[in-house]
Amino acid sequence: MSGKTCSSNSVIQAQKLVDQLRVEADMERMKISLTAADLVRYCQEQRRHDPLLAGIAASSNPFKDKKSCVLL
Amino acid sequence: MCDQTFVAITFGPCDCCGKASPLMNIYIKSEATNYCSFCVEVMATQGLQAGESAASLKKESDSLKKKLEEERAKLSDIELSQVAEKIEVLAPLSIKTRRVLKGHGNKVLCMDWCKDKRRLVSSSQDGKVIVWDAFTLNKEHGVTLPCTWVLACAYAPSGCAVACGGLDNKCSVFPLSLDKNENLNTKKKSVAMHTNYVSGCTFTSSDMQILTSSGDGTCALWDVESGQLLQSFHGHTADVLSLDLAPSETGNTFVSGGCDRKANVWDMRSGQNIQSFECHESDINCVKYYPSGDAFASASDDATCRFYDLRADREVAVYQKDSIIFGASTVDFSLSGRLLFAGYNDYTINAWDVLKGTRVSALFGHENRVSRVRVSPDGTALCSASWDNTLRIWS
Repeated sequence: MSGKTCSSNSVIQAQKLVDQLRVEADMERMKISLTAADLVRYCQEQRRHDPLLAGIAASSNPFKDKKSCVLL
Repeated sequence: MCDQTFVAITFGPCDCCGKASPLMNIYIKSEATNYCSFCVEVMATQGLQAGESAASLKKESDSLKKKLEEERAKLSDIELSQVAEKIEVLAPLSIKTRRVLKGHGNKVLCMDWCKDKRRLVSSSQDGKVIVWDAFTLNKEHGVTLPCTWVLACAYAPSGCAVACGGLDNKCSVFPLSLDKNENLNTKKKSVAMHTNYVSGCTFTSSDMQILTSSGDGTCALWDVESGQLLQSFHGHTADVLSLDLAPSETGNTFVSGGCDRKANVWDMRSGQNIQSFECHESDINCVKYYPSGDAFASASDDATCRFYDLRADREVAVYQKDSIIFGASTVDFSLSGRLLFAGYNDYTINAWDVLKGTRVSALFGHENRVSRVRVSPDGTALCSASWDNTLRIWS
């Protein structure tokens, strides 16, 4: 950062901040009751496909060691 | 390494008035231009409407901030945990360490899974980047970078290349060859150039573009083939430590988090910062999108992880416990988004119930800080990288 503190720098920064805030303020927002319900619904729908939640059979999990030895 | 800062003054014709004079390098709508200081003053005052000044702009920004707060507060009619009361409580997870990947000589800083669900790439403090086969524990490829602290590494969607970067201020892409004897360093391609360390990198939907975050406070999108900067993202006021791309169905956005305690959501095409969240009390170490793309989580040095809803534009959950006092350095969601795995500096990984806000399990095993956790693409396993020089696969 340059050592000079020109007045123009702070004006440019303030202008940028105001522009950014204007963009953010114009955003369309939804109520949490709706979005939260949606998140819960997504989790419940995907639940079956989540191996870490539902657990999978040891035979289909490549990381679990198989009980029987494989003859090479 | 001595730290010398030079103020480089370019001298030449001004892009605006054409006169030769000392130039200031500024950004207008994300494009770098050089103006002489007189033209900068003129432009700055031109941007103001009649009657505006620095003071009135400050007043306007304060009132806009308050308005934003009110808008957000109006929408929080219910808590996420209340909505989640109806669903069943999760039983503690029966997850154990199934594999320990040893081979790095120093702290493992980053890792990423390949889309084939079995390979992964990891990078460490001594400059080594290793590609492993997680099923067999084979090391398939190894490269040594000339710099230390390779903070970021990523696997290409095709599985044919890896990207890595760190203290060298660059992000380099290595095409992986099937020939084990070939030295990968010969094919190295330097893609990204930042003015400070590269903290995070990821490929976009194809092998052709990479997105990087850097200690210089910016994120950038690069074309791999030409090394050209396609878009830069300015807005953070301190080092950017992490970024994550939105899951492909939801479009061209990504989220970044940094030392300024802010998490920003960006539009990749325009470079515009579309949403910003400042809720953490300390540096944000990691950000990750929820699988549906409508929310994201962040991990911070303030020992909490937080969950933000993008459509409601606010934080909806905080994952914390009085007994957890060490910073969280990494987070990742399970496939369904119900579980959030977070790695902490107290050597543990905590699994949180995203919806209810409670801790489901704690995973112990590492002997030093956990630097990265990533769930495999099919969700069957969790890989964690740690400063104890190992990676662990949990399943």
